Amino acid sequence: MGGLKKKKLWGSVSLVLALSLALAGCSGDNEKVTTKDGKEVLNITAFIGTPNQAPAKDNRIYKKIQDELGVNLEMEFLVGDLQQKLGVMIAGGDFPDLITADTKLVSAGAVIPLEDLIEEHAPNLKKHFGKDWNRMKDSSDGHIYWLPNYGVYTGEFISNYYSGPAFWIQKSILKDAGYPTPKTLDDFTKLIRDYAAKNPTIDGQPTIGFTTLASDWRTFPLLNPPEHLTGHPNDGGVVVDDSGVATVFADKDISKRYYKELNNLYNEGLLDKEAFVQNYDQYLAKISSGRVLSMFDQHWNFQAGEDPLVAQGKIGQTYVGFPLVYDTSITDHYLDRPVINLNNGFGISKDAEDPVALIKFLDKLMDEKYQKLLSWGEEGVDYQVNEEGRFYRTPEQRKEQDDPAWRLINKAEGFYAAAPKLEGTFEDGNAIGAINQPEEFYDNLKPEDKELLDAYGFKTWSDFFSPAPENPVYYPAWQVDLKEGSDAAVANKQMTDTSLKFLPKAIMSKPDEFDNIWTEYVDAYKKIDVKSYEDRINEQLKWRIENWSVK
Amino acid sequence: MANTPGAIPEQTTRTVVPKAPLLKRLRGQRQLMFMSLPIVAYILVFSYYPIWGWVMAFQNYSPAKSFTQQEWVGLKHFKFLLTDDAFLNVLRNTIAMSVINMVLGFATAIIFAILLNEIKHKFYKRTIQTISYLPHFLSWIIVTGIVASSLSVDGGIVNVVLMKLHIIQEPIMWLSVPEYFWGIVGASHVWKEVGWNAIIYLAAITSIDPSLYEAAEIDGANRYKKMLYVTLPGIKSIVIILLIMNMGWILEAGFEVQYLLGNGVVVDWSQTIDIFVLKYGLQIGNYSLATAAGIFKTVVSITLIFAANSISKRLGEDRLI
Repeated sequence: MGGLKKKKLWGSVSLVLALSLALAGCSGDNEKVTTKDGKEVLNITAFIGTPNQAPAKDNRIYKKIQDELGVNLEMEFLVGDLQQKLGVMIAGGDFPDLITADTKLVSAGAVIPLEDLIEEHAPNLKKHFGKDWNRMKDSSDGHIYWLPNYGVYTGEFISNYYSGPAFWIQKSILKDAGYPTPKTLDDFTKLIRDYAAKNPTIDGQPTIGFTTLASDWRTFPLLNPPEHLTGHPNDGGVVVDDSGVATVFADKDISKRYYKELNNLYNEGLLDKEAFVQNYDQYLAKISSGRVLSMFDQHWNFQAGEDPLVAQGKIGQTYVGFPLVYDTSITDHYLDRPVINLNNGFGISKDAEDPVALIKFLDKLMDEKYQKLLSWGEEGVDYQVNEEGRFYRTPEQRKEQDDPAWRLINKAEGFYAAAPKLEGTFEDGNAIGAINQPEEFYDNLKPEDKELLDAYGFKTWSDFFSPAPENPVYYPAWQVDLKEGSDAAVANKQMTDTSLKFLPKAIMSKPDEFDNIWTEYVDAYKKIDVKSYEDRINEQLKWRIENWSVK
Repeated sequence: MANTPGAIPEQTTRTVVPKAPLLKRLRGQRQLMFMSLPIVAYILVFSYYPIWGWVMAFQNYSPAKSFTQQEWVGLKHFKFLLTDDAFLNVLRNTIAMSVINMVLGFATAIIFAILLNEIKHKFYKRTIQTISYLPHFLSWIIVTGIVASSLSVDGGIVNVVLMKLHIIQEPIMWLSVPEYFWGIVGASHVWKEVGWNAIIYLAAITSIDPSLYEAAEIDGANRYKKMLYVTLPGIKSIVIILLIMNMGWILEAGFEVQYLLGNGVVVDWSQTIDIFVLKYGLQIGNYSLATAAGIFKTVVSITLIFAANSISKRLGEDRLI
């Protein structure tokens, strides 16, 4: 054996070694601690389940958090489909420290219970969630896995701005018609018909009378209207009667009536032809072109399409929401009292190396000082304080807030939206968030908006809706966890699929074919195990009534 | 090796007596053996080790439980798949779109290569080739965006052109007619891949002996006869090898195109196995069902490869295995 041979052998051995090292490198852990200015900076990885633009590298607020709290947030925002992303994450078994809430992650054992951590290390969070403590417990094992991001109010509850479901109509139509108040679907469609006849094009492009969306998980613009039109609150795929029993309504007559109306609109050329083909981005683009007269949606869902219109000063083409019902004998129930947004917000994954540090960080952020930083910004830079201690913004500061590009550099919106937060008012009486500060809200109104609200004699956008009645204990049913892979989950999927297949077909049919297609739809629906879905919901509603009622 | 005295006899034994005992042969080829180790390790880790995951298909798999705690359900998930109307539809779509993609892909690429080969002007040839393969480098999300906007009723180029030519009276909603979906997917594939797929045939064409063309010319063959009797037979073996290799992918009709272009209206014609797995498996946390569908796909693919290979063997052509 010569020396050269040995070398060759070593060559191949080292090749194997190098390869295995490279493979091992793939699963390597991230360097946890870096030092900056002598301080230790804790890197926290977070996955946020909404598509958002990553903040600019030198974002002012994130930098301030890093300097003051010693935490560097490494955020990953959703690209594509959330369920797919989570499915892959679970299959791969690799999780970031903070993870967006989803019941699937509980079934997968990917998140740790938080109740003890909160009790021991997080007084602010404990105080914040105190009255909702029982609601936050998972119905199957009694643990708390999520820190909900919305729906817990302190101080006074102020709502100037309405971001829930409604039938939205362009402000210029209302102005044109002399500020009428459409109450029923018929009133509403008449306004659209008249306006579209007068304005066949808007900004040079054909007018779209009504559009809707049924893409990915955003199917509520198409599927939810019937429950609202019959005076039910937003319970998702079911309506709940007075005795607390939920029933699916998608294939019932209350739905048929609505889709028949859409069918009429379609045959008159007023319904967007591409409504069922478009994806979310195309939908937003269409809205931001200003030629969509109306739609049913929740405001937060199409807000991003409205922003460019505001930035261009096309206030007439932004929208006002109306609580439509089938006939005037029905009281609308669009506006609801805030409920804690269960199964939303953040959880801490089992891979997090230092859950205590994480919970302490989130707890510190609940401090009013940081809540002000996250919602209002920096005093003197993003807002001013007058002699009475009230917060307000100067016209220049308001203008900056309208600019999406500016916000990427100067606001921590991505994280703030997903994190638990104070809502309502601060201890000093200022509203949390500029939009809820009454005088700031009014001063921030564009002249067109003031004119419109004055014409109706209203002060805020919420005034268009009937006041919210007391919520039933179980409300809302859409937050029920169907349990991963269960029959109820499969049925739910099949129900959505069937609706998305038949409803567009029915709506886009000739008027005399509508009934036949509707019958086909109902027949297809009968083949699905709808009962297992209803049973799961009802079982959970019963559980809620038993466990959430005042103890 | 040459400077070690033992090397020469070793080499001779290897070449002269190919059927030496296994151990001896292994010893003789130990350098090669060592060199192949990383590849074997790679395949073991990434292709064979994951097969272990197949057991999931026979359980109600829950990621939170350990292996011993899983609930075993036998063939339940396979039964669900094979009796579910939606899945049978999905299977049909997958196979149909694959076959369309394959046939269209082959035919257009071969025709394109042959036609390109006939262009004598170098500059034009280069330019056409470059333009034709550039779309290959676009991702599907961009391509589907282009497809969707060109098919739009709202000033999409396809409708505009057809209207200007008076072929249609009013814009057609291409993406909401189920029957058009397969065609749209096929055409998108061709647009994206034809130039790229043609490259290998162009390479094969250049290796055809020029004397064959000269002989054909002397025999009085014109341009078309030369294409038909010289060029085509010249690339036949490449075509067959590629066909066999592609057979394995027949159930991979794709995921992105159908997912991005599809919508509720055309779901009966657009959903492929991968989308079904995503919707009824990953999205609702039903991993076992997803695995069962995956196994089903693998078994069909392997069967198809062997079938294609043995057909090719009978035809007396080159084969892969």
